[in-house]
Amino acid sequence: MSIVVEDVSKRFGDLPVLKGVSLSIARGEFAAIVGPSGCGKSTLLRMLAGLERPDAGRVLLDGRPVAGPGPERMMIFQEHALYPWRTVAENAGFGLELAGVARREREQRVGAILQKVGLAGFEKYYPHQLSGGMRQRASIARALVMDPEVLLLDEPYGALDAMTRLTMQNELLKLWQGSGKTVLLVTHDIDEALYLADRVFVMSNRPGTLLREIVLSQPRPRHRAGLAALRQDVLEALQIAS
Amino acid sequence: MKKWLAGLAAVFSLIAVWQVAAFFLPPFLLPGVPKTAARLVRLAGDPNFYAGVKLSLIRLGAGWTAGVVLGAVLGLLSGLSRPFAAYLRSLIAILQSIPPITWAPFLIILFGFGNIPIITVVAIATFFPMALSVMNATEGVNRTHLELAQVMGASRGQLLTKVYAPEALPAFVTGAQVAFGNGWRSLIAGEMVVGASKGLGWSIHYAGEVADMAGVLVGIAVIGAIASAIDHVLLEQAKRRLLRWRSTAGEEAA
Repeated sequence: MSIVVEDVSKRFGDLPVLKGVSLSIARGEFAAIVGPSGCGKSTLLRMLAGLERPDAGRVLLDGRPVAGPGPERMMIFQEHALYPWRTVAENAGFGLELAGVARREREQRVGAILQKVGLAGFEKYYPHQLSGGMRQRASIARALVMDPEVLLLDEPYGALDAMTRLTMQNELLKLWQGSGKTVLLVTHDIDEALYLADRVFVMSNRPGTLLREIVLSQPRPRHRAGLAALRQDVLEALQIAS
Repeated sequence: MKKWLAGLAAVFSLIAVWQVAAFFLPPFLLPGVPKTAARLVRLAGDPNFYAGVKLSLIRLGAGWTAGVVLGAVLGLLSGLSRPFAAYLRSLIAILQSIPPITWAPFLIILFGFGNIPIITVVAIATFFPMALSVMNATEGVNRTHLELAQVMGASRGQLLTKVYAPEALPAFVTGAQVAFGNGWRSLIAGEMVVGASKGLGWSIHYAGEVADMAGVLVGIAVIGAIASAIDHVLLEQAKRRLLRWRSTAGEEAA
């Protein structure tokens, strides 16, 4: 599914958060938006998820404007947002349950996806019994089990320690590669964006505008140190290079 | 285990104060513990006593169920509409300041003597704590939990049953527990006032009319014992089972 954002603006009351943002992401591409806190990057993501509407401009998926949430777009929230009263398996199967998928099929699909994200054997655990990384894996499983065409990630690893973060980034790449899914990752971690994405959008401070678009062609797995020059580019675009 | 000890100490201190006071007062004003205990033993063999207790519990059960269900449903629905929540809150603020028992004369004229006015008083007494408790929980529901369900495709009905209801479950339980306390007090008051011809409240009222102090004291003791048994055993057990996910050991897996 391709994503096109056309001259989108948004304000919350008197506060302008997005101003004339345009960008496009091809089908199957891994894109990332980096920018300082409060630059409206999460708002843009929420528009794609169907949780917010633009005041001006259009948000298009395969050429059609977004009217609301849909099963072909799944969002992964900051801080995992698992339901504390549901076990890992029940959390992962939540979307299927809402869609009325029969229990047997649900258990099968959930089992397969938990295996894939490395949570096999933890089906009956409650979120508070898991580590931060495992919780985020569970929330990725919950999105993937719906087999969405678009995956929207809102600072998914913001609450994790640095080492877990790196592991999770590699896991995400493995899950995405060859899946044909379009991924949009919102982050304030420049290295994370450059390491993961084919296309990186750099956004300014509030009200958010698009400062730069960087297309990366380095093959994966990328050498993190080899991204230093691009990192400098991003910092300069944000005017925090020195 | 320590809680048991504290409870036991509370019971014994009450009995001690009672017995000490009984030493200084004539028995027709305040019968001592042994005399009252003997009366309790005699009552324990009296089928009329059980019939009275049973009737009281049925009234309580009917009123409590009605009040709690209505309170829970309205409290949950208030999660769907801010204006409705504000309206319900003002309505409750006005009505809650009226002691439930004051509706008794009105209800007697409306429904006649019998079970209905008592059950209605109990229902009124249980409705408010339940509705307020559930409302507070639905208003404070985690926004991300809601948005997540929306992204996953939840309908409004599914939001209620799959997010609001489980998220408000602890509030349901505490609301139901507070409602029980309120309902129980109003039940006894109702039975004393409404002119019922059976039940725990009525038997105290009757014993008082004939200056049977031992009868009054036994009634009071039985009311206290039944209420704390239901509250501390039945409701606490229910709470623990319903909120299992909160109490599973908090150990972290690697």
